[in-house]
Amino acid sequence: MDELIYTLKQQIIEALNLEDMKPEDIDDNASLFGEGLGLDSIDALELIVMMEKNYGIKLKDPTQGKEIFKSVAVMADFIAKNRTK
Amino acid sequence: MMEKKEIYVLSAKQISVQQPLCEDWMTQPIEYQQPFNRSIDPSFKDYISPIEARRMGKILKRAIATSKEALKASGLETVDAIITGTGYGCIENTEFFLEALSKDGEQMLSPTYFMQSTHNTISSIVAIQMKNHGYNVTYAHKGTSFDSALQDAMLQLRLGKIKSALVGGHDEMTETFYHILKKGGMMGHDDEMCGESAVSVVVGTKNDDYVCKILDFKILHKPSMEKLKAVTAELKADFVLTGISGDHKSDEAYLSEAKELFGDAKLLKYKHLFGESFTSSGIGFYVAAQCLKAGKIPAHLFVNQNDVTDKKPSKILIFNHSDETNYSLTLLEA
Amino acid sequence: MTDRILITGAGVVSAIGCGKAQTLDALLNNRSGVGPLVYLKTEHKEFPVGEVKMSDAEMRKYLNISDKAITTRTALMGIIALDEALKDAKITPEMMPNIGFISGTTVGGMDMSEQYYLDYVNNENHKEYISVHDCGSCSEMIAEHFGRFASITTLSTACSSAANAIILGANMLRCGEADIVVVGGSECITKFHLNGFNSLMILDTQWCRPFDASRAGLNLGEGAAYLVMETEESARKRGVKAQAVLSGYGNACDAFHQTASSPEGEGAYRAMKEALQLADIQPDKIDYINAHGTGTPNNDLSESQAVKRLFGDKVPPMSSTKQFTGHTTSASGSIEAVFCILALQNGFVPVNLNWSQPIEGGVVPVHQPLKKELKHILCNAFGFGGNDSSLLISKPEL
Repeated sequence: MDELIYTLKQQIIEALNLEDMKPEDIDDNASLFGEGLGLDSIDALELIVMMEKNYGIKLKDPTQGKEIFKSVAVMADFIAKNRTK
Repeated sequence: MMEKKEIYVLSAKQISVQQPLCEDWMTQPIEYQQPFNRSIDPSFKDYISPIEARRMGKILKRAIATSKEALKASGLETVDAIITGTGYGCIENTEFFLEALSKDGEQMLSPTYFMQSTHNTISSIVAIQMKNHGYNVTYAHKGTSFDSALQDAMLQLRLGKIKSALVGGHDEMTETFYHILKKGGMMGHDDEMCGESAVSVVVGTKNDDYVCKILDFKILHKPSMEKLKAVTAELKADFVLTGISGDHKSDEAYLSEAKELFGDAKLLKYKHLFGESFTSSGIGFYVAAQCLKAGKIPAHLFVNQNDVTDKKPSKILIFNHSDETNYSLTLLEA
Repeated sequence: MTDRILITGAGVVSAIGCGKAQTLDALLNNRSGVGPLVYLKTEHKEFPVGEVKMSDAEMRKYLNISDKAITTRTALMGIIALDEALKDAKITPEMMPNIGFISGTTVGGMDMSEQYYLDYVNNENHKEYISVHDCGSCSEMIAEHFGRFASITTLSTACSSAANAIILGANMLRCGEADIVVVGGSECITKFHLNGFNSLMILDTQWCRPFDASRAGLNLGEGAAYLVMETEESARKRGVKAQAVLSGYGNACDAFHQTASSPEGEGAYRAMKEALQLADIQPDKIDYINAHGTGTPNNDLSESQAVKRLFGDKVPPMSSTKQFTGHTTSASGSIEAVFCILALQNGFVPVNLNWSQPIEGGVVPVHQPLKKELKHILCNAFGFGGNDSSLLISKPEL
């Protein structure tokens, strides 16, 4: 799981172009949207594309993202359970 | 015909292949040997937070920087309208999206590239940054994109619908698109240099501490010589700033028309310093305005070195055409 | 507004037909043009669309344009609509050098660029299409089919482009820059924006349901429409009658987000309010609102809020016509302005098709046929980036 979390952080940084950040800067349990990293609805869409590319998970409804992208830990858990690649 | 209100240029800022956000080109112009060049960018950290900037292409960052500088220099708190001209819009993101579509197919495309590919992204991002709910539009009409934006502002200032407007002219150019446009015969003729333009000007009816006045303004589509003569007869100036660019056919049209249209007025050029783009007429507007403000015209702007003079310019006519199809004429006064 | 701006001609093409007669018939008979994708070459067959029911080749044939001529689908549709508008207003080629042409588009020649992009990059094939990629070329191809206009310019404010072309034209007339202007917009469906809207996850795989609680996105459409607008003096001199009057218009920026509307519909509210103020008309005089109503969860809720802010609990009959045509993006402002003119002339409110249950806190649209005399109509067009515009179209004789 720790490995997945670390890789996921790298992928988030790349997908969202968070140039000045390192995986160590992202807390596993901090919220990605709102007060935490301060991401917005377009970032959520980028994360959906990223999950499909890297893990073969296809979300049909963008509102599902709200639950899944709560934090990196929640996201990693969802990916571990649903990944097809 | 309604009475023509006095309209002033309150500020004018640029980012281009010359030193950004200053008038160093007047005394120390940078000369380029190669035909394709990208702009010299300032540090954008002073204008946009990194989290906001991370998805923005260069054209957006430049638009925000020149807009904020122009607003600050205008002495106004806010403007009543934000009007932008851009020939190709956000071409870098358009290219990314087209490339992904062509190479990777129609799945898993990035929404960021798409949402930042439309032309009106520029004007809307500036409005979001300035929290401005006023009139907001974007013109995309080839070489007269900036001029169309200026026309819109002038109409509404005359009608009294607005008292001020931020008018922008923004085009970026990537290496890939430059080669595409060259292949299509749109760019890279003869000695022509390609440039990127980011120009923001604030115009308004307030008249304390202005850069210059806008006396009159015209855009024409494929005018006959008679029509051009009739229009220019009303727009007399000592200096005519032309769009001479190093494209021989286009330059020849300026030179042959100039004699018939402007008689003895001294011809100037600016595209040899700033390059050609769809919104380079906006750069021309900026150059003429700054010359009037400085009260002098640098020697390196004169088409004929015999014409060089220390004489303080009182009126400059900016005369541009694109492919001898769309003409714009703007008369500025000190 | 002191000088009235008369609309003396109109032309339209969309998924529900070619010309005003077919369009009126479809609107009166609730006949939608949205259906499975036929003409656009794309993998995304799952999305219903409102295509104009002609291939490029059929449009060329219809317009007598050679197979070899360089043109684009947006230009072809524009020519079809402009032809009807000019004839309707009795504009002849000799008059054109005194008329301004203003067109709205965002995709321009993207239908060709997306097919030939790799050729443009890698070889010499199809390079003749490079020069028609930009929006301005598109307007010029449309205009030059008929002759030489005094001036041509192009608005590109995404889905409110054509509405803003109408506003610029009105300001030109009021300033005395022209006596007649021809204004509107054209936009074809492209793979580029179908995929773009899909990447934003705002396309519905079913027939769109504006203002319905179950709405799940928009259907893309395409088409073109142009209006001939002129001063009263010009119309009197030419002996042409007004079909409608542009009595007000407003443009404001939501300044909230690049692709989403603010929850309270700030830009939309300001645009509608400005249109009423310019016309000096109270909200209770509005007989019908042709909503932007795209069918996305965000737009319809935001637009409902804006309308309720302006009209309180007395919201006039309102409907979206996107279920007829799909969202015709840049052209929607002028296409729907033509729908409003037809509604004024024929005394009916177009039905908000495919509606069954209200949005919580939303406006309940007109979902049954409604015949009534209409004097003043608000026509909304909102674009990405919060470029919101509203037009007030009125009966010439009140």
